[in-house]
Amino acid sequence: MTRIDAETRIPDPIELDRLEEDRLRTVAGLAPLRTESGEYAGFDQVGIPDRPPQTDRERDVYSLGEGEMLVNMGPQHPSTHGVMRLVVKVRGEIIVDIDPVLGYLHRGIEKLCENATYTTVLTYVDPMDYLSTMHNEHAPAIAFEKLYGIRAPKRAEYIRALVVELNRIFSHGLMMGFLALDMGGITPILYAFINRDEIVDMLSAISGQRMLFNFFRVGGVNFDMNDEFLSRLGTWRGRVLKNIEMNEGLITGNEIFRSRTINMGTLSGQDAISLGVTGPNLRASGVPFDIRKAQPYSIYNELEFDVITQEGGDSYARYLQRIAEIKQSIHLIDQIIDKMPHGPVQAQVPGIIRPKPGRAYAAVESPRGLYSVYAISDGGPNPYRFRMRDPSFISLQALPKLMPGRLVADTMAVMASFDPVMGGVDK
Amino acid sequence: MRLLTERVDSGLRELWTDEDTVEFQVDAARAHDVLRTLRDDEELSFFMLADAAAVDYGSGERFEVVYHLFSWKHPGWLRIRAHVDRADPRIASITDLWEGAMFHEREMYDMMGIVFEGNRDLRRIYMSPDYRSFPQRRDFVLPDDAADSSAAGVNPLERPETWDLTRFNRAPAVTFPTSELRPGAPAEAVEDGKTLADQSRPR
Amino acid sequence: MAVDRPKSTPPPTPAAQDPPIVIADQAGSDGLLRQFGMEEHPQGGFHGLLEVIPTKADYILDLIRANSLWPLLSGLSCCAIEMMSTATSVNDIDRFGMFPFRASPRQADVLIVAGTLTTKMAGPLVRLWEQMPEPKWCVAMGTCTTSGGRFKRSYSVVQGVDRVMPVDVYVPGCPPRPEGLIYGMMKLHELVKQRRGQWSTYVDRGPQRTRWEGDVR
Repeated sequence: MTRIDAETRIPDPIELDRLEEDRLRTVAGLAPLRTESGEYAGFDQVGIPDRPPQTDRERDVYSLGEGEMLVNMGPQHPSTHGVMRLVVKVRGEIIVDIDPVLGYLHRGIEKLCENATYTTVLTYVDPMDYLSTMHNEHAPAIAFEKLYGIRAPKRAEYIRALVVELNRIFSHGLMMGFLALDMGGITPILYAFINRDEIVDMLSAISGQRMLFNFFRVGGVNFDMNDEFLSRLGTWRGRVLKNIEMNEGLITGNEIFRSRTINMGTLSGQDAISLGVTGPNLRASGVPFDIRKAQPYSIYNELEFDVITQEGGDSYARYLQRIAEIKQSIHLIDQIIDKMPHGPVQAQVPGIIRPKPGRAYAAVESPRGLYSVYAISDGGPNPYRFRMRDPSFISLQALPKLMPGRLVADTMAVMASFDPVMGGVDK
Repeated sequence: MRLLTERVDSGLRELWTDEDTVEFQVDAARAHDVLRTLRDDEELSFFMLADAAAVDYGSGERFEVVYHLFSWKHPGWLRIRAHVDRADPRIASITDLWEGAMFHEREMYDMMGIVFEGNRDLRRIYMSPDYRSFPQRRDFVLPDDAADSSAAGVNPLERPETWDLTRFNRAPAVTFPTSELRPGAPAEAVEDGKTLADQSRPR
Repeated sequence: MAVDRPKSTPPPTPAAQDPPIVIADQAGSDGLLRQFGMEEHPQGGFHGLLEVIPTKADYILDLIRANSLWPLLSGLSCCAIEMMSTATSVNDIDRFGMFPFRASPRQADVLIVAGTLTTKMAGPLVRLWEQMPEPKWCVAMGTCTTSGGRFKRSYSVVQGVDRVMPVDVYVPGCPPRPEGLIYGMMKLHELVKQRRGQWSTYVDRGPQRTRWEGDVR
């Protein structure tokens, strides 16, 4: 695929149009329309934003140079990550700069959690990163257990790890589907949703809900595994590898997919660490950082697995990383089922817990990266401060770094390979 | 772990250890240098900023900017609590150390009002740009106050108390001409007090 | 006069002719229908000949509209995933004709507001609603759009999407099961076929949104 960079002089239809328009306006006796290059293009010319720039960076982004224009990939767009707005400064088809505008889904969850009991907080965090709900709940559960000073029983920890790995599998499967969907392929998303529906029916058998499972409690898990869950798990386990390979066969070797993802959005390991990118995105850039190994929590000490990395750091590597992690999660699930102990699934904890004043930090490995919770307790029934660090929020900073010089059509492909979920980005 | 931090840093306040976290406090003025030392020093090498959070301790008290760092060489997380004055909340930005702190700092500015000096892009990230308050402060009370607080911007969509909820049910402002087939009866007239939605099918 | 019929044609007698079957497209161009007296009355329903006869064309047109409602891809949050799950193979909304989730509001019929509506997003969403040509319907999916849902006391969540646009069907749930959304769609089909719903009262109201000062849109 030919690489077009910002220095390539392609006869730009915009320039020809502008020259023609200037000529016509001169003939008609009107002043030329465009502003000089470098000047901040105000609202009446551009439309976004509708006020003067507040910061240096904003001035950089919204000042139009020669032949540049601002294209708004608005909060509603066919890409399926949610409501994110990208103001893209393009010269022709080549991106010069990107300014992501967030906050279209900001629900004030952190503030709401300050007025809720600890158990209610576990329900408020569900819709943050709504594709990885179990991870959303896992981190606060660990943090509150640290504050309260208890540990969940062994069986609860194993069930937690089981559902967390199941969640990871369907979240990564959905990423595969979304990546193909953003490039125009509609079939893989159907396969991904079949996979998700199987897993989600299984999880609804154990937690009662299809999507925002209110499953974790401080001190354990809400329900124990039941027959329906186990039977569905067995059926699914027999089929999953073939399903994943079926989906993979549609995408991985596909010529169009490969040409659109190989060497696209290459993020080096050092840049990724500096930007705060974590999770599969970081491991695809070669850095072997997995919180399950680096700061083990729950029972990951007792399970054996490797930290998988890819070389290259491009979109294709991020895609392959996620497929490898799906297979690794299936391997983990096998071990968990083998080692599942008997016992209670929830520690004896009062309904409204009042931990002693203190601070706790808990980080888990979510399908998007490092998801962490910093909780401060003041001794009362509500947390004093409940802070969530969402991985997609921080990973979005990679986009203005990677995209300049690329074509507009690659924006969605690269963004989909980072797999952001706007619920988490905007909290 | 404690020995190392005591050796390389100086002037720390309040060291505290938990089973997996080491924590200490610094002043806002020293936070940036301390973080640079922690990142660049060979033996400390806290290469990764895991989280940057802000905590508000109430009206008379302080802010705290809390950084969590990770290093391969040390087990556990390192927590640095930087004490920021609440009356004049300024602290040096760490975007030159970690570029990924940009969004963290924008969020802290948006939610708490802490100004990060040196941040090239300190504008609101979650709320609208013309929002005039900082939602996560302790003195920002949730509804029913939020709509009446000084925070509400000029956009009427953020001021639900100004919405006229009856506008969807009123009779239309336009009256339609009469129908030919039934002379004398205005076509599709709507009586006062009734709406078209009351009829299952327009007559 | 509302009835734009050429003067030379005498008023037709009822029960004398079969109504010609003319399929109108969704954009509602009335020119072709006007000759047959089948153009849309601004307030819905047909007038003239076809109103007097229990109208087969009416029924067929409503049936066509109901069975090919094209939703606008307006998934905001978690309910969007359940909406996508309704659209994909296991619970298939394509059997009801709703497969093409249009990206452009100009081509869509139904706005399924799936996900939490925040004050920042309310502006773009209302703009999307206004850009949709009529007939259009709105389905509030999930409790966040019905009433604010679990974010009842939040400072940035619009407490129910019916504060900013008229809603025809409310589908409760957090998120509603795909079967629930399909049930909501069946209710919407009923509305469409019976010409109930908000759009029939929403016509010809002038600016459909209060204009506030400083508004340059």
